[in-house]
Amino acid sequence: MKGTLKTIIGGAIVLSLSTSLLTGCSSSGKSSDEKTHIEFFSSKTENAATYKELIKEFEKKNPKIAVDLTSPPDAETVLKTRLTKNDLPDMVAMGDSTTFTDLSNSGVMTDLSSDDIVKNIQPTYIDRVKKDYNKHDAVYGLPYATNGNGVIYNKDKFAALGLKDTPKTFDEFIADLKKAQGAGEIPIYFTLKDAWTGMVAMNSVASSMAPDQFSKDKTDKKTTFKDSYSTVADKLLTLIQYGHKDNLGVAYGDGNIAFAKGKGVFYLQGNWAIPDILKANPNVKLGVFPFPATNDPSQNKLVSGVDVLFAIPTSTKHKAEDEKFLKFLLQKEQAQKYTDEQSAFSAVNGVFQNNPILEGYKDSFATGKITSYPDHFYPAGFNAANIVQGFFIKKDKDAFLTKMDNEWDKVVNRK
Amino acid sequence: MNRRKYAFLIMTLPAVLLFFTFHTYPALQGIFYSFTDWHGYGPWTFVGLKNYINVFQDDRALHAYLFTFKFAITTTIIVNVFSLLIALGLNSKIKGRNFFRGVYFLPNILSVLIVGFIFNYIFAHILPQMGNSLHLKFLAKNILGDPNLAWIGIVIVAAWQSIAFNTILYLAGLQTISSDIYEASSIDGAGKWREFWSITFPLIAPFFTINMVLALKNFLMVFDQIMAMTGGGPGESTESISYLIYNGGFSGGEFAYQSANAVIYFIVIVLVSIIQLRILQRREVEM
Repeated sequence: MKGTLKTIIGGAIVLSLSTSLLTGCSSSGKSSDEKTHIEFFSSKTENAATYKELIKEFEKKNPKIAVDLTSPPDAETVLKTRLTKNDLPDMVAMGDSTTFTDLSNSGVMTDLSSDDIVKNIQPTYIDRVKKDYNKHDAVYGLPYATNGNGVIYNKDKFAALGLKDTPKTFDEFIADLKKAQGAGEIPIYFTLKDAWTGMVAMNSVASSMAPDQFSKDKTDKKTTFKDSYSTVADKLLTLIQYGHKDNLGVAYGDGNIAFAKGKGVFYLQGNWAIPDILKANPNVKLGVFPFPATNDPSQNKLVSGVDVLFAIPTSTKHKAEDEKFLKFLLQKEQAQKYTDEQSAFSAVNGVFQNNPILEGYKDSFATGKITSYPDHFYPAGFNAANIVQGFFIKKDKDAFLTKMDNEWDKVVNRK
Repeated sequence: MNRRKYAFLIMTLPAVLLFFTFHTYPALQGIFYSFTDWHGYGPWTFVGLKNYINVFQDDRALHAYLFTFKFAITTTIIVNVFSLLIALGLNSKIKGRNFFRGVYFLPNILSVLIVGFIFNYIFAHILPQMGNSLHLKFLAKNILGDPNLAWIGIVIVAAWQSIAFNTILYLAGLQTISSDIYEASSIDGAGKWREFWSITFPLIAPFFTINMVLALKNFLMVFDQIMAMTGGGPGESTESISYLIYNGGFSGGEFAYQSANAVIYFIVIVLVSIIQLRILQRREVEM
């Protein structure tokens, strides 16, 4: 207790000091440069460089406004702590996460539904975000970038195995894995030391089910993991047979480097891993395809979520400046730049991902064959990632499904 | 006399105020919220003892308790044995004694997180390579990825770092023993072994007590090493209570529930420390 309190207090002190430093900087900056400073809080660290360039351009066009980017590690926890102190930033960029749901439901975000900029964004994504909070007619977050959670593959190795088309069914995928194994390659490069990477696999495999319906039914006790996730568990057990010899000893960062250097034919990761892989080896030829979760190609969808959405807290004193910046970011030119640099997909109308690496997802987006992340609908506090990681070690299906059921019930009952 | 009293009062007051605002007040707040359903922000209501009852029904918490005690007891024993040995060595008349004292203290001034990340690299890259070339099967994999071995990795890192501080305390203890006693014992013909068990060890008993209590208390609150190295994994095999409280309370949005867990853990640590002090102090000798 003393220890945790110490860490909590320590964290609080560091936080308050750093924020007071920040506000100190910005307020002193205000008096000296006579600009209006807005704090732009981003929950992703990967895209900070792109934001910085966009901000520079915006400040050039709007010399009276200065945008201060904050992008701390463990940002969602920081944001929650700042909410308790009534010290929210002027503008927030974050994922469509449970934290966003919580923030929306506690009424601290501005409803942007009457704003014209909403028209810039594809309505399907706005509808998806709307589902996540209680007041469905309000727009608390403007989707900006989306992601794709599927399979990344090494094109050279794929061709060397004599394979032409990417697999469309689960059986075809397994056949490809067998072929890779037979040729002495590592079929799938797992990085399960980081528990969350197991959820990439799990989300892919579970994608054929209607995930929001499952969560509702599970909470209403109409279904259980035991009833619904049995085939999912079987498929995960099949996949883990095609790993390397230390599936649980390699972490995500090391895995990106290893895959870039030619270890593994397939890599179960989202498009966000691509910039890192290319950084480790710019010459590697990559491709992607949606994970074929079933043997019916019409049922196989790409798992995609809102990676970045913009929201404006009601407490901001610079709403006009915020909107100006928001409008700037949502312009086609800027959205295209973001999409290109981050290997992301855009929620902005008329902005497309033209990178040949991501060609394999194009069809899914064009035909709307996309679905949400199953774990997006799990209750907060439900520690699915570590349970799935444990399943990959012990490989005991019954124990795994029972544990998923029990932990879920426990967390829901505690609420 | 009165003026002196005032002077003392003025000297203590700032410390008391700071301690109260940054330590006592948040602690009381934590205890208060453990009786509510607060999830870190927003509205809340009182729920009585519900959180406490739930902690006792949570097998994840129980598992965290078992892991933490297993870890803490093992590490405490290892740390005390090794730091006593090192202290004995550093107290004898060897060449470059001050240099070695400096070297052995070095780990203590490094940040736990950085040490954790360095060892993370060693376990992930260097040890498996060695294991592969020496054909040692248990080393060929990252031990942090094995649910049965990961805790040993954390023990190694925690011990490596905390031995430094405990060595300093033992060293201080060894220097309180006057050389007269050793001279007397050597005249009586006592060997080194006898000397250690009959003179050295009993005379540094107060330092042994404080080292045992501090080490156990520190290791019961293990957090940083786990944050840096395993994140509670693989599975939930290295989830310590502090890590569970932090993770569930902040990321999981169960602030009030984990506050209750923290209050219970606070009581447990206080009890363990008191019992430990009682038992160990009984065998201390007065000079």
